[in-house]
Amino acid sequence: MPISLANNELLPIIEDVVEKTNSIEQVRYICSMGSLASVLAIPRATPITHCGPGCANKQMGSIAGLNGYQGGEFYIPSTNATEQEVVFGGAVRLNELIEATLKIMDSDLFVVLTGCISDLVGDDVGSVVRKYQKQGVPIVYAETGGFRGNNFTGHELITRAIIDQFVGDYDGPRETGSVNIWSLLPFQNPFWRGDFTEIKRVLEGIGLKVNILFGQESAGVSEWKNLPKAQFNLVLSPWLGLTTAKHLEKKYGQPFLHVPIIPIGADQTSAFLRQVTQYAGLDEARTEAFIAAEEKHYFNYLKDFAGFYTGYTCQYHLPSLSVVLSESAYNLAITKFIVNQLGLTPGRQIITENPPEEFRDAIRAEFRNIAEDVTAEVDFEEDGYFIHKRVQETDFSDHTPVVFGTTWEGELAKNLKGFLVEVGYPSTDEVVLSRSYIGYRGALALLEKIYTTVVRASTAA
Amino acid sequence: MTINLKTSEVPNREQRLGTIIRWEGVASDLVLDSHATYGPKKNCGQQGRKLCELDSPFTQGNMCAECVTIGQGIMIKGSVVIQHSPIGCAAIQAMISRLNRDMTNQRGWKLENPRLICSNLTEDDMVFGGLAKLEQTIRDAWKRYHPAVILIATSCATGIIGDDVDSLSSKLEAEIGVKVVPMHCEGFRAKHWSSGFDISGHAILRQLVNKNPTKKQDDLVNVLHLGGPDIYTPMLAKLGLRCNLVMGGSTMSQLEQLPEAAATAAMCTVLSYLAAGLEQEYGVPEVKVPTPYGLKATDEWLREVARITHREDRVEEVIASEHARIKPQLDRLRKDLKGKKGYIAAGATFAHGLIADLRELEVEVDGVLSFHHDPVYDSNDVEQDMLAEAIQTFGDVPHYTVSISQHFQAYTSLHRSKPDFIIARHNMAALAASLGIPGAQIRFFNDGVGYDGLLRIGELIRRTLLTKKFSQSLAAHSSLPYKQWWLDQTDPFALSRKEVTPEGNSHANFSCQ
Repeated sequence: MPISLANNELLPIIEDVVEKTNSIEQVRYICSMGSLASVLAIPRATPITHCGPGCANKQMGSIAGLNGYQGGEFYIPSTNATEQEVVFGGAVRLNELIEATLKIMDSDLFVVLTGCISDLVGDDVGSVVRKYQKQGVPIVYAETGGFRGNNFTGHELITRAIIDQFVGDYDGPRETGSVNIWSLLPFQNPFWRGDFTEIKRVLEGIGLKVNILFGQESAGVSEWKNLPKAQFNLVLSPWLGLTTAKHLEKKYGQPFLHVPIIPIGADQTSAFLRQVTQYAGLDEARTEAFIAAEEKHYFNYLKDFAGFYTGYTCQYHLPSLSVVLSESAYNLAITKFIVNQLGLTPGRQIITENPPEEFRDAIRAEFRNIAEDVTAEVDFEEDGYFIHKRVQETDFSDHTPVVFGTTWEGELAKNLKGFLVEVGYPSTDEVVLSRSYIGYRGALALLEKIYTTVVRASTAA
Repeated sequence: MTINLKTSEVPNREQRLGTIIRWEGVASDLVLDSHATYGPKKNCGQQGRKLCELDSPFTQGNMCAECVTIGQGIMIKGSVVIQHSPIGCAAIQAMISRLNRDMTNQRGWKLENPRLICSNLTEDDMVFGGLAKLEQTIRDAWKRYHPAVILIATSCATGIIGDDVDSLSSKLEAEIGVKVVPMHCEGFRAKHWSSGFDISGHAILRQLVNKNPTKKQDDLVNVLHLGGPDIYTPMLAKLGLRCNLVMGGSTMSQLEQLPEAAATAAMCTVLSYLAAGLEQEYGVPEVKVPTPYGLKATDEWLREVARITHREDRVEEVIASEHARIKPQLDRLRKDLKGKKGYIAAGATFAHGLIADLRELEVEVDGVLSFHHDPVYDSNDVEQDMLAEAIQTFGDVPHYTVSISQHFQAYTSLHRSKPDFIIARHNMAALAASLGIPGAQIRFFNDGVGYDGLLRIGELIRRTLLTKKFSQSLAAHSSLPYKQWWLDQTDPFALSRKEVTPEGNSHANFSCQ
């Protein structure tokens, strides 16, 4: 078969491939050790990585450096294992690195994360780290070799390591009206920083004391130390954090509330706040007053937006259908908002982070119940090849789609004659600072983003 | 060292060239010690001592050979690159995608996602081996894209579990009828990532060039570069030469033609392996003068290309007209930049080249941080030594630090140098900004090359100096994650020094090769 190799020609996709295999391209998450990003998300905590020379920066550079350009100083301690550590073991080298790290780095908590090399050669990392723990050094470890899972499962591993090895046992009193939050995966979601600020803001608005634990609104390790005192845990995501919450329930007898849909927009957010108020036994009048003030602000803006939304339908081919290709948390949240607030048709939803099998039926059920009069189907697929294939095979005729996805969808969105809004890893055409897409305020930013994209694509470049 | 194409593995740079990643001192000493230890005449009447490398108990993550190998492989048009690895190695895909999108724009290619597929190994594969998955992924690569070549990059995990990638590659190459090329790039096998360039060069030499060239193309020059805009075609056209621009985005037919060319010029010394191999195997002469950064080196580079390709008659005219062309802008830049102090943190070739560019612009340079140091290149010709050339032309560099992009050491050396600006690679500019020093990060590899590169760097510095307000506002509100005693340090290797000896001298913890 002749294959053209000219610079400008795409290779033809020749055979119809239907069977899913182990292969994975256009990768949308990183490995278990990528949870070093979660450590960096805790103020004044430092990851110490025991792995090959490229691992730490590869994980960090992709998830933080390029993904929304969230940050990019590479100072992560790493053993940078060589043939020596592969052949003779790396425990001695790890010990040397920990000792030097304690000398030079100013940090309140150190988290040792292992990579494939250490986990394969079988270094006894626990005994190296326990020596420092006995000396009172705030240090924990987790075995996060890349073959063990992705950064979602790695996140729960390091969370558990910090709880079990650093926070420790607690049987003192509970603080009524305080809550620990387990929600989006830091850095993986490019908007997590702004989103965590909004989550904390609205929960404080109804009178809760919030341990947000990650991000700049967190007080750092003191907040983690206080974690067992909280009245309850709030898991605000379809599944991530549930393992941690169940562990805390067992360890401290601390109950948890699971809200699978992160609220976007006034209707969702108000309902969420009422649910939390009821669960935690908060002052309902205070909650209603907060909701009223937030809704007034929100709907004033929405009313002004109506001039655009209803006035330019002909002029700009406003999208009428959504395609959401992302991790489950944003997928569910955005679909709920887009369908209920804007009235778009849910076209194709594909969840890309490979959630554990046991959580999938519950996620499917949420999609089927996306609105009173609308149901949506969802697929689970992590290989970019099939993600795109499924979208390409869907009939969108009569619709202009808006694709919520990643940089991988640049070409796809163009071919669909639709619009691309980057919401997931990797988002490398998007610079993100404090922007949030959730809650009352984030919803407005999301509307701005969608319709700015539409107008820009529809007018002269 | 002779290049051995019989095996699929390449000895790493520390084995071949004596490459080091930690050193500190006066630049001229590094040159003398390098030549004395590894030069062709090894210590025959030369000054210089045995080249030694410092130790460091503290190390920070950097890059690995796999990142580099993947990056080079995917820039071969029509290729599919398989990462035979657990999913973590595939974090590089986002970075490759970004680079690909930028180059697509610069080189006028059609937008498409890079064809990178990970075999996605998991815990069971560590026990039972990963070859079945690799075989599946090779078949998937063929079915999905019918590529011109399938390149396979190994990983630390597959190196340790011992997957026989070579045998499987041969088997499937015979069955599918397309080249299946293993690239052994386990990260732990080399202490510096630049070994990855040798690995991709090795793959090209072994399996992708036309091994029986029937003709010579006397006006064709192979230019090996790392990607970025094509600045070489216009440069060579002035001598009536055509440019075969490879490594950073070439087609298979360009690679096949490599042995037919009249000369090879590696635009980065980390690409010397392929250049040396083409000379050794096919008699294509390598341009063995320093890479063209700054006026003098660019003049000499053009003269050498002209000499090899028999175009001496027109080269002086080209040089004179180029000098005249850039003079007005160069004069303006020198006027603006004279007396400013710059700092350089980059890979070895960049670092050496930028010394020339900055000093040509009359910028003062007293501190340089190079991410590694090759005492010799694969040609084993010390005439090619860029650092020696930069020092001979422009004078010594009093504080020359070799540090494998170590953030804590870059901090210390910047703190010592206190420059007006920094030009950097690998995110060191962000560090500088938090210290109140305006920083520019070079993303594309050709930015400082040739006459126009000199102007480009000058303009870059001018723009960079404008960000001083940003850096200063940031510095007033930033902190670094180090303890105060380190923040007070001015010796990047303070942690490497042993305790003070009984004789009262402090000894550096050197290990000699």
